[in-house]
Amino acid sequence: MATGKRRSATLLLIAPAALVLLVFLVIPYVNIVIMSFRPPGEGAPYGVGFTLANYRKFFSDSFYMLQVLNTLWIGFVVTLSCLLIGFPVAWQLARGESRLRPLYYSIVLAPLLVGIVIRSYGWTVLLGNNGVINRTLMGWGVTDGPLPLMYNGLGICIALTHVLLPFMVLPIMSAIQGIDPSLEAAARSLGASRAVAFRRVLLPLARPGIQTGSILVFVLAISAYVTPALIGGLRVKTMAVTVVDALIDTFQWPFGSALALVLSVVGATCVIVFARLTRMRWKVA
Amino acid sequence: MTEVRISHLTKSFGAGPVVDALSLTIGHGEFVSLLGPSGCGKTTTLRMIAGFEDADSGVIAFDGSDVSRVPAEKRDIGMVFQNYALFPHMTVAQNLAFGLEMRKIPAAEIRTRIARVLDMVQLGTMTERYPSQLSGGQQQRVALARAIVIEPRILLLDEPLANLDAKLREEMRVFIRDIQRRVGITTVYVTHDQAEALSMSDRVVVMFGGRIAQTGAPADIYDRPATRQVAGFVGQVNVIEGVVETASGEGGHVRLPFGTIEAPRIGAATPGARVALALRPEAVSLVPPAGAGWQGRVVSRHYGGNLVDYRVAMADGTVIHAQTFPTTQFEPGAEVGVHADAARLWPLGD
Repeated sequence: MATGKRRSATLLLIAPAALVLLVFLVIPYVNIVIMSFRPPGEGAPYGVGFTLANYRKFFSDSFYMLQVLNTLWIGFVVTLSCLLIGFPVAWQLARGESRLRPLYYSIVLAPLLVGIVIRSYGWTVLLGNNGVINRTLMGWGVTDGPLPLMYNGLGICIALTHVLLPFMVLPIMSAIQGIDPSLEAAARSLGASRAVAFRRVLLPLARPGIQTGSILVFVLAISAYVTPALIGGLRVKTMAVTVVDALIDTFQWPFGSALALVLSVVGATCVIVFARLTRMRWKVA
Repeated sequence: MTEVRISHLTKSFGAGPVVDALSLTIGHGEFVSLLGPSGCGKTTTLRMIAGFEDADSGVIAFDGSDVSRVPAEKRDIGMVFQNYALFPHMTVAQNLAFGLEMRKIPAAEIRTRIARVLDMVQLGTMTERYPSQLSGGQQQRVALARAIVIEPRILLLDEPLANLDAKLREEMRVFIRDIQRRVGITTVYVTHDQAEALSMSDRVVVMFGGRIAQTGAPADIYDRPATRQVAGFVGQVNVIEGVVETASGEGGHVRLPFGTIEAPRIGAATPGARVALALRPEAVSLVPPAGAGWQGRVVSRHYGGNLVDYRVAMADGTVIHAQTFPTTQFEPGAEVGVHADAARLWPLGD
């Protein structure tokens, strides 16, 4: 009786969130899945009947496969560079004793406070052939012509790393804040140098934060649209850009749906494999 | 076994010194407690011995060799932390193996040493548990085992029992002292709990404001406190002020605000000098009012099981704290005779 009451209270508490998810995520998703099996239509989003043609088109054209690999590669590079740049920052924010810590914290959060279009446009100003970086380098005589910083994968990675850095820093910071500082002292009292204490004690304990941050950044990087669209231009396209092209520009709703689903499945598979590989066997009290 | 010699150790954090020109020698295999209120510099002293803090000046030497500039990991110390600081991602066995692996001990020997130490702390069956699966007392024993399995030169304990409940704390006092004796390791124990310091130590070092107020065997500290501050911090005490009437040798006749007493020790005082005498509550006994002694009235009574705590107002208004066995009891408001064991009176310095 008591547990029955508790169960209905639980249901009541999660109902609003479940309803939002159902209406705005599950139903549209189901719609996309159905649409991906429809033939293209004339003057309508899709025609009548069902077909595998959209998926056949995707898997028979290496152009799309290469694009998936390219998108995953960008996701991987962005995740790795966010991790390498973000970890020391997270460490400093969690353990630093500087009075300027609130300032550093707001600097880390700053990219989130500027609209994504403005931010990406800012990068085009910096990275373009006639941009600040290239003009400065040419002005100093370091290079003769402009370096290819934009309209390629490099530019997309630079801009996405900047945009997504807070999503790496914040989870790692909170993981490090949860590590008892006396653990490092304990490791050193047992004969471990600072480096060994870091590798054997602090890094494994920061792993939940690293895992969360990496998954967040990876998922956001492979599904990013605005930044790759503005920085990559017409030459380099990620899957998200191609999906939008198919939907908006060429009005191929069924094919676009198939592309979007492939991207989702590939992304989800990567996350599951990553989470499995970095799974933890212990739990903190 | 190792002798620790600390000379003129000083450390400041910002404002004033936390540890102020502290000198102390801890003998081979000795168990020394640093006792004092929070902020007295006892933990900072311990952290400097461990190598987690650098001294501003002064020298710490192990067996005569200066270790002041040796990093913590090279000092060969075992440390037990207040919150145990067990590695949560390692099992009990892995926690214990950590220090041995750092010392490049072969795997087979690591296994036998872990088994031996876990046996000693009575946790032989817990090797594959994670710290979160252990009770507070078990975690405490793992922390102790981890510190001694490396057979360090010195064992340092920083308030190791502070997070345990009262009953377990008393058991662990005996347990830790027993293991320390068996291993025979030089030990420095930091605590703010006078009962722990008195019951466990060979020698107690009482600290206030970064300085040593008194060093001595537990009975010295308790029965012959050097200052009011020490007397007040280590146990409960009545401080009674009086004027010396006659002095003979060590002792003399002292006039108190509520009577007189013949005390065998009053310090080297001359007639007319003011003295402050420490009197422990358990050295005061209460008798029916017709009996001998000073006259007073019970103000309050607190029953404590093995002892009863009384506050007794004397004729001049002075309140005396008395602890007696509960065999005879007096009601609040009752007139009583107050008798002090003169042999337990001890003259206090400032």
